[in-house]
Amino acid sequence: MAARVLAALLATALALALAAGPAPARASNDEGDALYALRQRLSDPNGVLQSWDPTLVNPCTWFHVTCDQASRVVRLDLGNSNVSGSIGPELGRLVNLKYLELYRNNLDGEIPKELGNLKNLISLDLYANKLTGGIPKSLSKLDSLRFMRLNNNKLTGSIPREFAKLSNLKVIDLSNNDLCGTIPVDGPFSTFPLRSFENNSRLNGPELQGLVPYDFGC
Amino acid sequence: MAINQSSFTPRVLADLSLLFCMLLAPVCLATPATTPAALLQVKSGLTDPGGVLSGWSLEADVCSWHGITCLPGEVGIVTGLNLSGYGLSGMIPPAISGLISIESIDLSSNSLTGPIPPELGVLENLRTLLLFSNSLTGTIPSELGLLKNLKVLRLGDNRLHGEIPPHLGNCSELETLGLAYCQLNGTIPAELGSLKQLQKLALDNNTLTGGIPEQLAGCVSLRFLSVADNMLQGNIPSFIGSFSDLQSLNLANNQFSGEIPAEIGSLSSLTYLNLLGSSLTGAIPAELNRLGQLQVLDLSMNNISGKVSISAAQLKNLKYLVLSGNLLDGAIPEDLCAGGSSSLLENLFLAGNNLEGGIEALLNCGALQSIDVSNNSFTGVIPPDIDRLPGLVNLALHNNSFTGALPRQIGNLSNLEILSLFHNGLTGGIPPEIGRLQKLKLLFLYENQMSGTIPDELTNCTSLEEVDFFGNHFHGPIPERIGNLRNLAVLQLRQNDLSGPIPVSLGECRSLQALALADNRLTGALPDTFGQLAELSVVTLYNNSLEGPLPESLFQLKNLTVINFSHNRFAGSLVPLLGSSSLAVLALTDNSFSGVIPAAVARSRNMVRLQLGGNRLTGVIPAELGNLTRLSMLDLSLNNLSGDIPAELSNCVELTHLKLDGNSLTGTVPAWLGSLRSLGELDLSWNALTGGIPPELGNCLGLLKLSLSDNHLNGSIPPEIGRLTSLNVLNLNKNSLTGAIPPALQQCDKLYELRLSENSLEGPIPPELGQLSELQVILDLSRNRLSGEIPASLGSLVKLERLNLSSNRLDGQIPSSLLQLTSLHRLNLSDNLLSGAVPAGLSSFPAASFVGNELCGAPLPPCGPRSPARRLSGTEVVVIVAGIALVSAVVCVALLYTMLRVWSNWRAVSVSNSDGEESAHGGHGGGGGKWGDGKYWKVGSAVSWSAEQRHSSGSETASVLHDKSTEAAGAGKS
Repeated sequence: MAARVLAALLATALALALAAGPAPARASNDEGDALYALRQRLSDPNGVLQSWDPTLVNPCTWFHVTCDQASRVVRLDLGNSNVSGSIGPELGRLVNLKYLELYRNNLDGEIPKELGNLKNLISLDLYANKLTGGIPKSLSKLDSLRFMRLNNNKLTGSIPREFAKLSNLKVIDLSNNDLCGTIPVDGPFSTFPLRSFENNSRLNGPELQGLVPYDFGC
Repeated sequence: MAINQSSFTPRVLADLSLLFCMLLAPVCLATPATTPAALLQVKSGLTDPGGVLSGWSLEADVCSWHGITCLPGEVGIVTGLNLSGYGLSGMIPPAISGLISIESIDLSSNSLTGPIPPELGVLENLRTLLLFSNSLTGTIPSELGLLKNLKVLRLGDNRLHGEIPPHLGNCSELETLGLAYCQLNGTIPAELGSLKQLQKLALDNNTLTGGIPEQLAGCVSLRFLSVADNMLQGNIPSFIGSFSDLQSLNLANNQFSGEIPAEIGSLSSLTYLNLLGSSLTGAIPAELNRLGQLQVLDLSMNNISGKVSISAAQLKNLKYLVLSGNLLDGAIPEDLCAGGSSSLLENLFLAGNNLEGGIEALLNCGALQSIDVSNNSFTGVIPPDIDRLPGLVNLALHNNSFTGALPRQIGNLSNLEILSLFHNGLTGGIPPEIGRLQKLKLLFLYENQMSGTIPDELTNCTSLEEVDFFGNHFHGPIPERIGNLRNLAVLQLRQNDLSGPIPVSLGECRSLQALALADNRLTGALPDTFGQLAELSVVTLYNNSLEGPLPESLFQLKNLTVINFSHNRFAGSLVPLLGSSSLAVLALTDNSFSGVIPAAVARSRNMVRLQLGGNRLTGVIPAELGNLTRLSMLDLSLNNLSGDIPAELSNCVELTHLKLDGNSLTGTVPAWLGSLRSLGELDLSWNALTGGIPPELGNCLGLLKLSLSDNHLNGSIPPEIGRLTSLNVLNLNKNSLTGAIPPALQQCDKLYELRLSENSLEGPIPPELGQLSELQVILDLSRNRLSGEIPASLGSLVKLERLNLSSNRLDGQIPSSLLQLTSLHRLNLSDNLLSGAVPAGLSSFPAASFVGNELCGAPLPPCGPRSPARRLSGTEVVVIVAGIALVSAVVCVALLYTMLRVWSNWRAVSVSNSDGEESAHGGHGGGGGKWGDGKYWKVGSAVSWSAEQRHSSGSETASVLHDKSTEAAGAGKS
C-alpha cells in the first residue's frame, strides 16, 4: 500500500510537471498560433478550418489564409463560412493583416479591442453576424483602414468619436445595429451617407458640436 | 501420514467443513481428504516456471514444503501458504478450500487467471487473504463475507469487475480492505460502514459511481482511505472530519463538487490529503492550516477560488503543496514560509491560476526543490537572491509576465535540472555563470525579449538535453564548442538574430533529434560533420543565408522525417537530402538547387509535403511522384521544368495544393485534375500549356484558387467553372480564350478576385457578374474584345476596389450606377468606345481612367456645346442656388434642433425613446428610416456640400430639400 501511495504521489507530481511543462522546440509562429487559437474558439460545421494544421511552420498554406512574399498573413477570408463562436483577442497579433473578412457568419461576443493593433488593416468586414457590445475605441488606431463594415450586428453604445481621425476611411457601414448617441461629423465622416448609420433606433443623428452631448441618449 | 498425527480440533474443523461443503454442493466437487492432498491439487492446477513447488511431494513433511507454514509445536497443521511473486500462472484451484486450518494465504504478485474461487468462503480460520497483483477475472465472490476472522483482504490490481459485495460488511474483524486497480463498478456499499475495525480502505482506480455513503462514518478506525480515480460524485462528506486516526485521505480524480469541508481541519493525524481533479469550488478553508502533521496537500485541478490561504509556517511538516489548475488569485502570501531553516516545503506547484505579484516570498522556503508557478500573471523580476534556494532542481516560471534579466546568481543553483522561463518579458543576456549548472537538462528561454550573445560557457552544461531559445533577440554566432553538449536532443534557436556559420562541432551532438535554426542570419555552408547526426529527425534551417552545395555526408541521415531549408542560397543537387525513405516533409522553396528532380524523392512513400518551388530545377516532372499517394502539397513552381504534366500524378488523390506555375510545361491542362476532389489551390500559370480548359475542373468543388494565366489556352471558358462555388480567386489572364464570358460565373459568389484580361473574349459583359457581391480585390476584364454597354448591374459590386474594363469595345454611356461603387479606388475604362459625359461622381479619378473614348467632362476636358452634359448647366445654377438656400435652412434647422435637444433633455424623463415616438416627433432626425439613400449630411462644410451635391441628380436634391424642410417643419411644430 505504501508503495502505491508513493507511486501515486510521484505520478501526480510528474504528471503535473509534464502537464505544466513546456512543449520543446515549438515550430509554430505567432501568426499561426493566433489563427489556431481562433480555430479553437470557433465551431466549424462545414470544416472550412480543417486545413489549419498548427504543426506547419507558418499558416501560409492554410486555406482561407493569404500571405505575402515574406510569409506574413495579409488576408483572412472566412466570409460566409457558417462559423460560430467569438472572435477573441488573438487576432490582434496578426499585425500584418490587411483584409479581415469574417462577414455573414454566426459570430457572437464582442469585437475585441485588440483588433486596434492591426496597423496595416485596410478592410474590416464583420458585417452580418451576431456581434454584441460596443465598438472598441481602439479601432481608431487603424491608420490604414479604408473599409469598415460592421453593419447587421447587435452592436450597442456610441460610435467612437475618435473614428474621425481615420483619415483613410472611405467606407463605413454601421447600419442595422443598436447604436446610440450621435454621429461624428469631422474627418471622413463629412462624406459618409446617412444610410451607413440607418436602422439604429437610438442613434440621434449627426453631432452638433458643443450643443448636444455626444453620447446623447446612450 | 500427517493427518493421523493431527490434533483433534482440526479434525473436527475438517468434519465441519465437509458438512459445510455438502451444504454448498455442488461447488465443492473435489473435497480433499487431507491437507497435503489438497496442496498437491493446488500445485497441479498451477504452472510453476521457477520450480518453487518441485519439493512438494508426499515424500517430505508438508511443513517443510516451500511456502508452507505450520502451527508451531504441532505436526502437519498448515496455517500459512505464501507463494507470492513466483511467476505462477493458471487458476486458483477450488481445492484450496481443503486447507481447513489455514490462517493466511498469499498468492499475490503472480500471473494467476480465472475467478476467485467462492470455496474460499469455507476457510473460517482465514485471517489474511492476499491475491493482489494477478490477472484474476470475474466478480468478487460474496462468500468471502463468511470469513468472520478475516483481518486483511487484498484483491487489488486484478481484472475483477462487478460490484463490491455488500456481504464484506459482515467481515467484522476486517482491518484492511484493498480492492484498488480493478474494474469494479456500482456504488460503495453502505454495509462497509459496519467495519468498525477497518483501518485501511483502498478502492482507488475503479469505476465506482455514486457518493460516499454516510454509513461509512461508522468506520471509526480508518487510518487510510483512498477512493481516488473513480467516478464518485456529490459533496465530500463532512463526517470525514470525525476519523480521528486518519493519516491519509485520497479522493483524487473523481467528480466531487461543492466546497472542501472545513471539518477536514480536525484530522490532526493527517499526513496526506489529495483532492485533485474534481469540481470543487469555494475557497481553501483556513482550517486546513491546523493540519500540523500534513506532508502532502494536493488540491489541484479543481475550481477553487480566493487566495492561497496556506501557511507552510503552520503546516510545519508540509513537503508538497500542489494548488495548480484552479481559480486562485492574489499574491503568494508573505508568510507562506516563515523562516528559511524551519520550512520543510520541497515542492510548490501553483501553475495555472490567476496569481499575481512577485515570487520573492518563496525565498523564505529554503528547502524548495521544485517551483512551478507557470501560467499565472506573476510580474516583477526573477529575484537575484534566488540562490537562497540552493536545493532547487526544477524552476518553472513560464507563461507569466516576469521582466528584467536572468540574474547571474542562477549559476549558484548547482542542482538545477529544469529551467523553464519561456513566454515572459525577460530582457538582457544569458549570464555566463549558467555554465556552472552541470546538472541542467532543460533550458527553455523561448518567447522572451532576451538579447546579447549566447555565452560560450553554455557549452559547459554538458547534461543539457533540450535547449529552446526561440523568439528572442540573441545575436552573434552559435557557440563554436556547441559540440560539447553530447546529450543534446533538441536545439531550437529559431527566430533570433544569430549570424555566422553553423559550427563544425555540431556534428558531435550525436543525440540530436531536432535542430531548428530557422529565421536567423546564418551564413556559410553546412559542415560536412552534419552527416554524423544519425539520430536527426527534424531539421529546419529556413530563412537564413546558408549557401553552397550540400555535403554528400547528409545522405547518411536515414532517420530524417522533416527537412525545411526554404529561403536560403543552397545550390547544387538535392540528392544528399534523399538518404532517408521516411521523409514526410521536404521543403526547399527559394534556393538555387539545380539539376533534375531525382526520382528517389518518391522513395519516401509517406511524403505529405514536397515543396521545391523557386529553384533552378530542370528536366521533366518525374512520373514516380505519382507513387506519393499521401501527398497533400506539391509545389514545383518557379523552376525550369519542361515536358507534360505526368498522368501519374492523378494517383495523388489527396492533393490539396498543386502549384506548377512558372515553368515551361507543355501539353494540355489534364482532364484528370477534375478527379482531385481535395484540391483547394491549382496554379498552372506561367507555362506554355495549350488546348482548352477542361470542363472537368468544375468537379473540384473545394477549389478556392484557380490560376491558369499566362499560357496558350484557347477555346471558351467552360460554364462548368460556375460550379466552383467556393472559389475565391479565378485568374485566366493572358491566354487565347475566345467566346463569351459564361453567365454561369455568377454562381461563384465567393469570388473576391476575378481576372480574365488579355484574352480574346467577346460579346457583352454578362450583367450577371453584378451578383458577385463579394468581389473585392479586382474585376479585370481588360484587353479583350468585349462589346456592348457596361451593365448597370456592376454598380452592385459595392466592395469592389479595382475595376479594369480597359481596351475593349464597350460602347454607350458610363452607367451612373457605378457611382454606387463606394469602395472603388482604381478605375480603368480607357480605350473603349464609350461616349457621353463622365458621371460627375467619378471625376475624382484621373483622366487616364477614361482616355481613349468619346467621353467628356471632368477629369477630361469639358463637354462641347452639343454635349448633353452642357445643357445641365442651367440645372447646376439652380442647384447652387438651392444649395445656398439649403445651407441657410440647415443652419436654421441646426438651431431649432439644438433648442429641441435642450427641450427634449428636459423632457427626457417622460418621453419614450421608441421608434414610434421618434417618428411622431420627426425633428429628432434619429429615426433610421427617415434618412434617404445616397443623401449626404454636409452640416460640417457648406462648401463641400454644394460641390458634391452637384453630383446628385436634381430630384435627389429636391428630396433632400424636402426632407430637410419637413424636418424643419417638424421641429417647428415641436
